[in-house]
Amino acid sequence: MSTLTLRAAPPERIDFLNINPLALRGLSQGEAERLEVGTTRTGVRLGDCFAVALDGSDSLTIEGGHERLDRVGASLSAGTIRVTGDVGQRLGAGMAGGSLTVTGHAGPYAASGATGGTITVEGDAGDYAGGAVYAAKAGLDGATLIIRGTAGAHLGDRMRRGTIVAGRAGAFAGSRMIAGTLAALAVGDHPGLGMRRGTLVIGAHGRMAQTFVETGAHDLVFLRLLATALRGLSPEHAALLGRPLRRYSGDLATIAKGEIWVAA
Amino acid sequence: MAAWVKGGATGADTAIEAAAALLAKARAPVIAGLSADVAAIRAAYDLAGRIGASVDTAGSFGTYAELGALSRVGALTTTPAEAVGRADVVLVVGAAPWQASLLERLIDAKPTRGRAAGSERAFLALGANATASLAWPAEGGLPEAVGVLRAYARDHLAGDALPGQIAARLAAAQYGVLLYDPAELGEAGIEMLQGLAMALSETTRCFTLAVGGVGQDRAVVPVSAWLTGQAPRSGFGRRVPEHDPWRFDAARQVAAGEADAVLWLAAVPVARPDWLSAVPSVALVAEAEAQAAEVVISVGQPGRDHGGVLWNEQRAALTFWPASAPSNMPSAATVLGALTERLAAGQAASRSEPAC
Repeated sequence: MSTLTLRAAPPERIDFLNINPLALRGLSQGEAERLEVGTTRTGVRLGDCFAVALDGSDSLTIEGGHERLDRVGASLSAGTIRVTGDVGQRLGAGMAGGSLTVTGHAGPYAASGATGGTITVEGDAGDYAGGAVYAAKAGLDGATLIIRGTAGAHLGDRMRRGTIVAGRAGAFAGSRMIAGTLAALAVGDHPGLGMRRGTLVIGAHGRMAQTFVETGAHDLVFLRLLATALRGLSPEHAALLGRPLRRYSGDLATIAKGEIWVAA
Repeated sequence: MAAWVKGGATGADTAIEAAAALLAKARAPVIAGLSADVAAIRAAYDLAGRIGASVDTAGSFGTYAELGALSRVGALTTTPAEAVGRADVVLVVGAAPWQASLLERLIDAKPTRGRAAGSERAFLALGANATASLAWPAEGGLPEAVGVLRAYARDHLAGDALPGQIAARLAAAQYGVLLYDPAELGEAGIEMLQGLAMALSETTRCFTLAVGGVGQDRAVVPVSAWLTGQAPRSGFGRRVPEHDPWRFDAARQVAAGEADAVLWLAAVPVARPDWLSAVPSVALVAEAEAQAAEVVISVGQPGRDHGGVLWNEQRAALTFWPASAPSNMPSAATVLGALTERLAAGQAASRSEPAC
């Protein structure tokens, strides 16, 4: 297991796009320490901020995170990254496979555009977790995002595929959703605003937009299958599906093929 | 020209020297405001590229609400002149558009061109109301309210409740115009509004029109596009223009302690943000006062002290405004040019210096 240990708080935002087990495997200690990870004109090299210990394996541990570490695990295709601490924006953005765990909090746009693999945030996540960045076609796009704590506003904004599981979430959870599944124990106002397709499973919610219509209580086989699928990620969320559920259909402002399941 | 360093009046050269020194030692300088004529905006981007600064505008909240929706769903827009000439139904979304000067022009005149020529102009309102014939208070917030109208326009909701009546009036219009303020409506609301205009345009004509932008943001957007290929919030820290609306938000950068020098450019007067005093700053402003920043250089206001290309709200285009009261105040572009030259000669810090 290779390890990067944070020595001092970074003086500027750090870009970890090119720091992953696969990229570090072929490098010597010195080469890895000289990798440019800074974002300003002054710049920072990996060795300036981190003590580097490489062993050529496909797992990487970052000991001591910081909210200025951007794009940790972005475009990861295989292997494991574990961060002990916080990370900045775009955690696992565009990730295609592998596994990524953060023990602290994540900044905005976690798992944006991620097509595969599993991203776990044990603390809280910022706004637009699993959401789309500026001008991107989609947010989460096939990966699995698990947020044990609280997610900010616009969780799963414009997500297209994949699964998001969050403890609590802010306003506009699942807004403009294209497709996919989002489960949360509680969300803020306007869940699913502008959603086209997709499934939200929520325990409690704030204001429900008038463009969602209640379509009654149902007992569908699909829900039992979904519960089985969620149980492996979070038993608490799977249990939501065991309670009586009310189904809302919407958003009527769009093609209205989305659904929100609210546990009683 | 008037200039101040740390509150004390000084000469132009001393002030430029002090500004250059402040910017040269910064790790992550920010050029903010960008409320100026096109020549000065270009000079600001030139300076940013030279010193690896990032750029942000005075009204970027509204600008990015617009651009975010535009990048996703596109936009059906019209110009103020077309709205005044052709609109027979105007929907005012929110409270801010009621303050716009365009609204008076719309209220004072009837449509004179197109299929609606000669007919009365009807006003509808969402959220706030002043004089509209039909108004819906929209308690759930504007994005939801616009979504409800859109659902009626798509026939997903039916009935003669207030929003249904408003949607019916829009559908029956010859030329509908949806007026909104991007900063008030927000990205989610604007995207809904564009969807509403598109749904209505299946059967009639309906366009959106944004009013009430801050500063010269509408000039900065095309200038930054032709200079960097990107929207305004770009950074040059890694020598190439990187666009990141979250990372290069000047207010966020200052709050997070990432920015260590700010150059505030407001040759066209615009409100100074609170965060400016939290960081060493240089201000190039038309209405200068000694305490505005650490280094203050008074510059001419384009269209008053000197000619310049500015956003023309009436014509929805960039146009040249000659000097209305010519003076010998230097233009912001000249001062920025002098700063760039001084910094190029002094060689800004290189990327290879040790950091931590």
